[in-house]
Amino acid sequence: MRKLFRKVPLNVIKLILALAFIIPLIVAIIVSLQSIDEVNKLPYELSVADPSLDNFNFAMSQINLLGYFKNTIIQILICVPCQIITALMAAYAFSHFNFPMKNLLFTIMIASLMIPMETVTVSLFKMMVGWDLINTYIALCITGLINVSAVFMFRQNMLSIPKSIWEAARIDGCGHIRYFVKILIPLCKPIIIAQTLLSVIWAYNDYFWPMLVTTSDSMRTIQTGVAYLKDVAHPGVMMSAVLLILVVPVILFVFGLDSITEGVTAGAVKN
Amino acid sequence: MKKDKKKVWLPYLFLLPTFAGIIIFGFYPFAKTIINSFSFTDQYGEWLKWSGTYFWKNLFTYESGLFWKMLGSTLLFSGMNFVFTFTAGMALALLCVRREKINRFYQTIYALPIAISSVAASVIWGFIFKGNGGLMNTWLGIQTDWLHDQSTAIVVLSIITSWCHVGTTFLLLLAGFRSVPMDIQEAAMLDGASGFKRSVKIMIPMASPQIFFVVFLNILTAIKTFTQIRLLTYGGPQNSTRTLMYEVYYKGIELGEYETACCLSIVLFLLIFLITRIQFILEKKLVHYQ
Repeated sequence: MRKLFRKVPLNVIKLILALAFIIPLIVAIIVSLQSIDEVNKLPYELSVADPSLDNFNFAMSQINLLGYFKNTIIQILICVPCQIITALMAAYAFSHFNFPMKNLLFTIMIASLMIPMETVTVSLFKMMVGWDLINTYIALCITGLINVSAVFMFRQNMLSIPKSIWEAARIDGCGHIRYFVKILIPLCKPIIIAQTLLSVIWAYNDYFWPMLVTTSDSMRTIQTGVAYLKDVAHPGVMMSAVLLILVVPVILFVFGLDSITEGVTAGAVKN
Repeated sequence: MKKDKKKVWLPYLFLLPTFAGIIIFGFYPFAKTIINSFSFTDQYGEWLKWSGTYFWKNLFTYESGLFWKMLGSTLLFSGMNFVFTFTAGMALALLCVRREKINRFYQTIYALPIAISSVAASVIWGFIFKGNGGLMNTWLGIQTDWLHDQSTAIVVLSIITSWCHVGTTFLLLLAGFRSVPMDIQEAAMLDGASGFKRSVKIMIPMASPQIFFVVFLNILTAIKTFTQIRLLTYGGPQNSTRTLMYEVYYKGIELGEYETACCLSIVLFLLIFLITRIQFILEKKLVHYQ
């Protein structure tokens, strides 16, 4: 009993912090339920007399959310599998083979991590303009086709798998490709799921690159489409649109928390 | 053995897609950026002729020292971001360090901003900090145009960006604290060390690799912040939130001054490179792995 009593203040602090943390979401929900008059009222009050779903209806009917959503899904379906497969292949080569120039290639890969995407974006954009790829799915997906940090993550994971499994498989006549597809990939499943979840959330939430390469409304992704309306649409409508686009990543996050935690921490610190 | 010999090309084949990507989307545009910062280019960014240091000189002199102001804003912004994110992440991680059922719930909430896009965060926070009819003004009973006031804009922007990034910091620190062996903590508990004392004297030093990583991660993420600035302040007011990252976009895309944007990209790269070097050197000196 005394132990419980001593714990109470800490839990109160945690609860208050948690509330403070999700205030933006609570605000968004309340604003989206308010009427136009309530949102425009001065000074503004965070209360809702007569909750209505008008804003959501308006957002769904007037904003091309489903079209944006389609573009994002296409982008994710192309980028994420491609990222995962290429990263798995590279990680397999680096973890299970000895070949000439291995160290040199590995160093080159580390060096590529030193060039942040942000510093080459303008040049990449000019390349897209030059190749006449603006407003195409190719331009939208092209930068998400590989993921070097995923290579490191997978390689680390593959190195931790006992060599004896590979030796046993080889004695049984298992070739490299069969071992890779049938044994190694299933063994790496947790880390693959973690990386997939993170990649999906990142691709879904990405703004900078999609904004650069999409100028027509029919090509906008979910983030660029909503951002484009930010200063045009009414706050109530904006909040409903934002809540609608939040649903997918939040669900993925809540149900995949353990996986995501693993993914976030796996690549971070060498121990 | 014979079978292995026959497949010497196999690892190269497996590496091919990744390396093609690294070259086409990494090294090639990077080389192009360096070359074009010393050149005149056409509208497609194709090389026309050398410009020498014309654009570099321009960069340091344009708009009476705007470049240095931008560099200052970038450092100030990432510094504030680091302080806010790190303090919040540290406090939250220490609060949730016990593996209890209730902490899992808090863990979900504190890390939730990871799932929330910077666009969504900007829209919602933009409404809260709106000057006319904003929620923050109602709560505080004052009239401040937070995002259009030179003295508050960068602070508010940092708070918003920190909210977006604190989840990652929190999860990393939590993992670090939880990896501290239980027996050490129990020994300290038997010696009568309080929860607070155990945090400061045992947890934090033992988790120093994670803490170190998080410090630099926060600085680097903040330097690369773009969306929040683009959607909330457009680099204003009076250029106070015009960071290098935003300026690369503004010059290169909005104004179409590609060569200047290349110079700025190189500066951005050098800044990030410098910080990673510092991280590398300090890591060797300060961090003790077990």
